[in-house]
Amino acid sequence: MNRILLGGGSALAALATLSACGQKVADPSTQYGANPVLPAPHEYLLPPMEVPKATGWGKDQTPVVPAGMQVRALATGFKHPRMVYALPNGDVLVVETNGPKAPIYRPKDYVEGKVKALAGSAAPGGNRITLLRDTKGEGAPELRTVFIDHLNSPFGVVLVGNSLYVAATNELLRFPYTPGETHIAEKGVHVTDLPAGVINHHWTKSLAASPDGSKLYVGVGSNSNITENGIAVEADRAAIWEVDPATGLKRQFAKGLRNPTGVAFEPQTGKLWAVVNERDEIGPNLVPDYLTSVKDGAFYGWPYSYFGQHIDVRVQPQRPDLVAKAIAPDYALSSHVAPLGMAFSQGTSLPAAYRSGVFVGEHGSWDRSPLNGYKVVYVPFRDGRPSGPPQDVVTGFVSPDGKSTMGRPVGVALDRTGALLIADDVGNVVWRVTSAPGATK
Amino acid sequence: MAETAHAPSPPSLHPLLIAPAAVLLIAACATDFIYSQTLLFQWDNFSIWLITAGLVLAALAGLALLLDVARRRIGTLAWGRFAGFTIAALLSLMNAFVHSRDAYAAVMPEGLQLSALVTVILLILGWRGWSLHAERLSHPSRPAGTRS
Repeated sequence: MNRILLGGGSALAALATLSACGQKVADPSTQYGANPVLPAPHEYLLPPMEVPKATGWGKDQTPVVPAGMQVRALATGFKHPRMVYALPNGDVLVVETNGPKAPIYRPKDYVEGKVKALAGSAAPGGNRITLLRDTKGEGAPELRTVFIDHLNSPFGVVLVGNSLYVAATNELLRFPYTPGETHIAEKGVHVTDLPAGVINHHWTKSLAASPDGSKLYVGVGSNSNITENGIAVEADRAAIWEVDPATGLKRQFAKGLRNPTGVAFEPQTGKLWAVVNERDEIGPNLVPDYLTSVKDGAFYGWPYSYFGQHIDVRVQPQRPDLVAKAIAPDYALSSHVAPLGMAFSQGTSLPAAYRSGVFVGEHGSWDRSPLNGYKVVYVPFRDGRPSGPPQDVVTGFVSPDGKSTMGRPVGVALDRTGALLIADDVGNVVWRVTSAPGATK
Repeated sequence: MAETAHAPSPPSLHPLLIAPAAVLLIAACATDFIYSQTLLFQWDNFSIWLITAGLVLAALAGLALLLDVARRRIGTLAWGRFAGFTIAALLSLMNAFVHSRDAYAAVMPEGLQLSALVTVILLILGWRGWSLHAERLSHPSRPAGTRS
């Protein structure tokens, strides 16, 4: 009895100190690069959150780019566009998609669904891929067709030779592609199953092909924030899979990456890189999302630890044997920026400062106040490695007071002219960023 | 304990809601304890639904109490017991937030400590029944409203 009362008393005392507000949040710049400052984790009664209301763009309203560049809508009126992909002939594919309906296992799931809906995350996806043809390359497509319809929450797209691979949430599909084609009617050929199932918490399946096209890499997110749905449902997840497109055979290339929403090959070194969304609810500056090269066979910590051996006590029983093997990612982007897309910039026609690095679309998260992300950044590379802090490229997705979002960036790509394309799943726009006419390059 | 000399009160509504609310909140302590022993996440899910349902019934019990007061179905309110039940409900509300954390932190340690504390409070109060009539504060071996 005394023990219970003591325990209850200490619980109350602990909770009282936790709810003390006004805690200073360190600037995101303390969490850029290889050695981010990692504060001690906190458990909250209610995690500090901020959910700007999704309003969409007003007439003539656009995101903001630095001097020397301009941004215009390539096309509008999409159904939750999340990924853009440029085909070699200049046609642009826009993946219009959203996740399957999330099951409600706890009262929290219901509340969370309502909160995220305010921020525009619940809008139904088109479950299709739309093709835009802009023959002149001036940002004014003369043709817009439904390229592939009736997909199951597609996300990643990659063309290898005459095969177009689409990563639906439950399977990898192959479509035959002829250059110039504007519609594919046949059903895709099943290449391999991808982890989905009833929960399918992080549903996006990012996709990239090795430079020689012999292997495909699929980023598969975890089935929870931090194993609250049990460890059993995490089998095959929080991993990057390597798939042999000829046979459909696959293996886990790397593990412990909570939600690898973007995968891409660095053109200079030919190495695989990924952007990864780290865990929530242990503080506004934990855990930094990251950009990393992905080493064959490596374990990056999730769920047991983060950034090497920083243990997450929410995961029990712990696995010290796995924690010992965990390696730290290469480059932190700072916390809760939610990087959902990446594109290496080699070949861009943007100003010279952007020609050797990677663009990252930061969607932003509910789990941080003040907001972080909600922009497209550029991470400069030298010799195949990040060589400086991320720089803002496209901003202005959030209103100055932080109360509303006109748009949120997701997938990024370079089109045939080297312009930067951005899928915006709140504004339902694909933006195109180019050098300003007459600007010195 | 001194007995009051009131005639038996007409039936009131609130004990019918306090009792099941208390049962659910006490059950959450049991499922929390099982979680602490097994680390199986489903026991934590049981706990949060039990606490949520317990809180809904507790809120309804509050409304029923207001109704009982308005309809003069309650003589003198037992303020001490009222305070006890209110504290148990507030602690449970806090516990619902604790249980909305993810994985182990949803239960251990504060979640289990709070549900244990709530259980102790409810068992002590429940020993004398679930009514807030001051005149019913007699020993349970003597039915309320009777005089020796």
